[in-house]
This record gives sequence, C-alpha cells and structure tokens, in this order.
Amino acid sequence: MTQLSIRKNKKSKNQSGSRLTKTQIFIRDKWLYVLLIPGILYFALFKYLPMWGVLMAFQDYSPFLGFWESDWVGFDHFQYFFQNPDFFRLLRNTLILAFYDIIFFFPAPIIVALLLNEVRMQLFKRTIQTLVYVPHFMSWVIIASISYVFLTTSGGAVNAVVEYFTGEKISFLSSPDWFRPMIIGQVIWKETGWGTVIFLAALASVSAEQYEAAIIDGAGRFRRMWHVTLPALRSTIVILLILRLGNFLDQGFQQIYLMTNSLNRSVADVFDTYVYFVGITQGAFSYSTAVGLFKAVVGIILIYGADYVAKKMGQTGLF
Amino acid sequence: MMKNKSKSLAALLFTLLLTLFLVACNEEEAGSENSGEENGESSGSDEAYDLSIMTTAFTPEPPTSDSPAWQAIEEYTNTNMDITFVPNSNYEERFNITLASGDLPDIILTGKTPSFINAVGDGAFWDLTDHIEDYENLSQMNDIVKNNISIDGKIYSIYRARPLGRMATSIRKDWLENLGMEMPTTTEEFYDVMHAFTHDDPDGNGKDDTIGQVVSEYPGPWNIMQTWFGVPNKWGIDENNELYPHFQAPEYKEALDYFKRMYDEGLVNEDFAVMDPAKWHDSFVKGEAGTVVDVADAATRNLNNMVKADPELEGSVDIFGSVEGPNGLFNLPTTGYSMMFAISKGSVETEEELHRVLDFIDKLSSEKGQRLAYNGVEGTHYEIEDGEYVPTEDQKLVYEYEDLNQLLTFVPENRYLEKPVTELKEKERQIQTENEDIVVANPAEPLVSEIYGRQGEQLDNIIEDARIQYIVGQIDESGLEEAEELWMNSGGKEYIEEINQLYQEAN
Repeated sequence: MTQLSIRKNKKSKNQSGSRLTKTQIFIRDKWLYVLLIPGILYFALFKYLPMWGVLMAFQDYSPFLGFWESDWVGFDHFQYFFQNPDFFRLLRNTLILAFYDIIFFFPAPIIVALLLNEVRMQLFKRTIQTLVYVPHFMSWVIIASISYVFLTTSGGAVNAVVEYFTGEKISFLSSPDWFRPMIIGQVIWKETGWGTVIFLAALASVSAEQYEAAIIDGAGRFRRMWHVTLPALRSTIVILLILRLGNFLDQGFQQIYLMTNSLNRSVADVFDTYVYFVGITQGAFSYSTAVGLFKAVVGIILIYGADYVAKKMGQTGLF
Repeated sequence: MMKNKSKSLAALLFTLLLTLFLVACNEEEAGSENSGEENGESSGSDEAYDLSIMTTAFTPEPPTSDSPAWQAIEEYTNTNMDITFVPNSNYEERFNITLASGDLPDIILTGKTPSFINAVGDGAFWDLTDHIEDYENLSQMNDIVKNNISIDGKIYSIYRARPLGRMATSIRKDWLENLGMEMPTTTEEFYDVMHAFTHDDPDGNGKDDTIGQVVSEYPGPWNIMQTWFGVPNKWGIDENNELYPHFQAPEYKEALDYFKRMYDEGLVNEDFAVMDPAKWHDSFVKGEAGTVVDVADAATRNLNNMVKADPELEGSVDIFGSVEGPNGLFNLPTTGYSMMFAISKGSVETEEELHRVLDFIDKLSSEKGQRLAYNGVEGTHYEIEDGEYVPTEDQKLVYEYEDLNQLLTFVPENRYLEKPVTELKEKERQIQTENEDIVVANPAEPLVSEIYGRQGEQLDNIIEDARIQYIVGQIDESGLEEAEELWMNSGGKEYIEEINQLYQEAN
C-alpha cells in the first residue's frame, strides 16, 4: 500500500515537471521494457507481418509471379463470393453452429464449475477435475475415430444400445440432422473440463466471509449460489463471452473436416473448411484469402459490438 | 532482492535472444555457401549434377541417401539426388504450399491440377514438347496419354505410365463354388451373385455375417459400376457433336436405381458413406465381403494378405474386368498415368541443365534404371536364383528401395524384375488388355477448363453427394433434379459452355 502511494506521489510530481521525466520513467522501468521485447517480437513477426498477406485478397495472386508481380483485381473476389450460391449455405451453417456453440457449450463449463464448487470432499473434487479435462489433450483425429467406433451403424456400441431399446439404428455419422448435435457434443466432451479451470480460479478468490454472512442471513445452498457465487463469476463470464464472440465464425476446422462426408456436407460446410478446400487443395489463394478476410471483419465487428453492449449494461468490457 | 531477480531474468532473456540471432545468422551463411557450391558444380558437365526432386511416398520409412539403391542410382545417372518424399495422402496440399513458397525443386511430381495449370501459364515450368524427341525412352511416350497430359497442345511434364484398362472386380471364387454359381457376365447376374453372397451364407459358417460388396467413402466403385450401364466417362457426346455432363445421360438414372436396390437389400455395407477408404479392402481380406470393385492388381495384393492369415485360402480369389450392362459392355479407363514430373524453370535455369535433368529421367526408364529403382541392388535387395527373381524378405531392406519406384515413369514399358507370374497375375494382365477395347474415353480429358479449375471440387461434390444421398434414400428423384439444378446454377452452365467451346476449338 505504501509503495503504491509513493509511486503515485512521484507520478503527480512528474506530471508537473518537463520532458526529462518521461525519460527518467523509461530508464527506471527499463527492465520491464526488456521483458516486453519477446512479446512484441512474437506479435510483430507472427501476427502483424503476415497481415500484409491479406492484400492478396485484392489481387489475382499467382505463387510463381509472387506478390509484387501479381495483378490487382480490386473487389472481384468478394463480389464473386457474395454472389455465389455457396455463400448463404456457408453463412447459415456457420451461424447455426456458432449459436449452438454459445447456447449449449458456453454454459457447460460454468455449470460444471458451480457443481464442483459445491463438492465438499477434496479428493473427489480433485479427481473429477482432473478426469474432465483430460479430453482437452486429445487431438481431433483421435476423437473422430472414437466417435466413429461408437456411433457407426455397422457394429457401433451406441447404436447397439439404441437398437436394443428402439429396434432401429440411428445414423449419427451420416444424417444431416445429427451433424450439429454430434459436433456440439464432441466439443462439450472435449473442452468443458478445460473451460472450468478459469471459472474455478475465479471462484477460489471469493472470500469465505461472504458465504458466512449469507449463511447467517439464512441463505440456503441455492440462494448462496445465486447471490454470492454467480455474481463473483459475472465479470469472468462476460469477458470470456466477448472473447468467444470474436471467434464467433471460427468453427474448429479439424473437427468439422474430419466429421464431414457426402451425406452431411449440406450442413457441414462452414467458412473454415471452404477456405481450406478452395485455397489449399485447389490453389485459389486470393479467393480464399478474401473469404478469410470477410470472416475476420465479421469477427472484429462482433467483438466491438459485444464490448459496447457489455459496457452499456454496466459490465467491465475488454477495452 | 526483487531487483536482483529481475536483473538476472533480463540477462537470461537477453542471452537467449542473442543466441537465437546468432544461430539464425549462422544458418544463413551456411545456406549461401551451399548454393555457391551447387552453382560451381553444375557448370562442369562431367561432375555429378545436384538434383532436387519432390515425389510421393507410400511406405512409413522412405529411403535416405545412405541406401545402397539410392547411391547406385546416383552413380548410374551421375547425379547427387536430394529427394523430398511426401506422404501420398497430403501430397496435393504440399505441392500447393511448395508452389506458393516459390522455392521449387528441379523435378516436382504433380497432377494435372488447376494450380499446376496456372503455374504453367505463369511460365513456372519448362515446355518439353520439342525436347523429349531427343531421348531414347521419353520419345516413346504413348500418344493418347500424351494428349491427356497436354496443356493447350503442349507437353509440360513426363507422365508416370499406368495401364489404361486397370479397373477390375475381385471376387471370391470359393464362395461362388460353395453356392454353385458361375462367374457373373451381366449386371443382373452380378446382382444375383451379390445377393447370394449376402443372404445364402457363402462361407458356410452358418452365420449371417457376409455382404455382397464392400464400398467406402471413396467414390471409385460407383464410377466404375455406372460405366457398366453405359454412362459416359465424365462427358458424353450428343448427336449434334456437343458435350454434355455424364449425369444427364438416361443411363445414369438406371445405374443409380441399381445401386439403390443394392443398398436397400443390404448387399453393400450400410455405413459405406462414412467408411475410411484406408480400411476399404479389409472387409474383403477378412472374408466379410465377397466382391470389391477396384483395380486389377488389387486381386493379387488382397489374395496375398488372405493367404498370409490362412494358407488354405490359396486360389480363392478371381477377377473379372466388366460385366455387360443393359446397353452393352463397357468399362471405365484410367487416364493412363498417375501424376507426372514437371521441371522447374526457376531451379533449372539453362537448356544444358534441362538436358541433364531429362537425361536423368530418361536413364531411369532404361532396364538398368528401372531395376535399380524398382528392385534395388542385386545381392542386397534381391537374388537371382535359377534365373528367377527372389526379393529380400527383410522389411528394413525393402524400405531402402521401395519408395524409389516413385521416381519411375515406366515409359515406354515395364522393364523391372518380377516374381514368377501366378495364374491370377496372368489373368490380371489379360483383363487389362481386354479392357482396352471396352473402355469409354473422356472426350474432354485434354481440355483445360478455367471454371473447373476454380470450382471443380464444389461442382463434383454436388453431383457425387447427390448420388450417395439417392442411394441411401436421403433424397428421391426430385432431389436428384434439384442437385442438377444447383450444379447448373453454381457455375455448371458456364462450365458446359466453356468445355464445348474448347472442344470445338480442339477438334
């Protein structure tokens, strides 16, 4: 506390001083700036530098001619994309999956964290916590194979059970109706446990006094959860939700690519897989860059929009 | 205390960064030294020529430069080879990325893909049309296949030859005998055989555990079987000499109804649309499926695997090329090649260098070249006993040479050593020759469509998906018509116009 106030004093003094003091601050904090270098380098090299590549979206890029020699075509690729009958199908599939993701997957880690928070037996709590986040470390290829083994109509375990009870098999893997539930189910299975980590950390910081006070006031378990635990989580939830909205149109490419087949392609094609098919396998680099750029713009709009709404509603936003 | 800690941390970071920087510098220097060496060497024609190649790999352990077979090829062709083996499954992706990097190897394997065609248009590869005549083997390329690989009438690559009539069906001979059935000769007989294989317990184990045919996610079998019904190979020609897409042929519907009947009666595996193509032939080998519609050489391969598990199965596999459909006897051809070698203009700068590279490819097609790359080194990888070729059984040694066959063009013919021919192998060859008389050519094969280059994959998907959906009953006839309409509106109409224009220009 004292340290902080001293700093504050120094600062207010500096404000009344001249330019020299800025340099002084810089010299005083030089090691902090040094610590910043790797981070800056990382973002400059891997995030900002490649950003020039989006200019390809306005070119008829040919790998052999290279960036400087390729022809500029303006908004041709965008025009073509928006006029393409594929566009609305892709947009629809992507949006539906994104909404499902927010509605069904996003609350899952919160619920699990709340449940775990109520568990009194430490050993049990720890064990469950570890078990639920193990799937996070499995690759999608493995999860796709596991899904295949369980869900196939030729001898899959799940279908054996379903057939035993209903007498009919369900083609989870190939039916367009089952594609979205399957994808969301896989995400929930894989990522819920990992998602709880952040919420549990936020819950650990809730002071026990608040619970004690609530108990004295006669609050039961659900009252405590509603009036103490959830408000403590509120800012974390809002920030994670805003961040999630920034990636709204990103569906896990690998997962969807692996689960797509001829029978469910009508609902499975999303922007990410489309960019891959068109860009990498067909070599239409400019066109797929344009599609990717469109996606990024939508992402930025969503993240700023959500931030604005959050602030309007009295929550702490991101920026 | 705090200050000390941050100081030492900063020092550590600094050292790390510095090291990284130095290492990067070092590597750059090493790189430039190397390229200097390369240039120096390639100027003298007697010295070994540095040759970089990118090709496919099918084994988990492709050969390295320590391999005796590799070294023997280098010695024979007077080159220093630097081969990048890329797993076949993601070759196309790697090819596009390599192309985008601009750093191409001297020789690169490629399909006739849109990105290759575009790169040719940009002048990335040598035009070989006038050069190949100078080489003993390469000058003997097959005219039909040469036409297939040509771009605007010019040759930009050397194809890797494959039999044109390679498609054939493997069938369980012992099951036919158990059921007292004859080899099918018509599509209806084939249907009856598949039906009996499914329902009449062909393996005699008293269990209902067999199916007529195994199919996977890979659409090949449907393409072959629809050709039996007389469906054109991608493009048909109408009475006005105009091209139309194959699915507009009336025979297409006939074929699809046949497939649907197969599926409805359980003659094919229920989950074929989601089955991993890598596991496709497993059902046949394990004795669960009675037929598999693929290529002729699959018969021997499958039989060998079956005999390995159960020696009593020797002689239990037979093949046929095609069965007669209601409209005649047809079969689907291959394009006559499996990818091709193109030579980069950026890496091979002069005509003299081009000559060295072409000479390398030509030499590998000679008897000695083919044997080195296909069979390995005599005494190490194989022996000749009583005039018969006996390859090594040691898997490690086999890996030393096996993938080197990915360098071969087999132009004009196969000259490598083979094991004594079995009866089945003999039949495979006979069927391949017979197939050549009944294969249906694709009239648009040599034509290069811009629209297809941009949207081909989506267009193909629309039709192929609709076919599968119709077979499993997800859509009915009106659904097929909707798919055709979607195809037309997604660029198909323009595609047909473009192809017809190109076709009229070429003929």
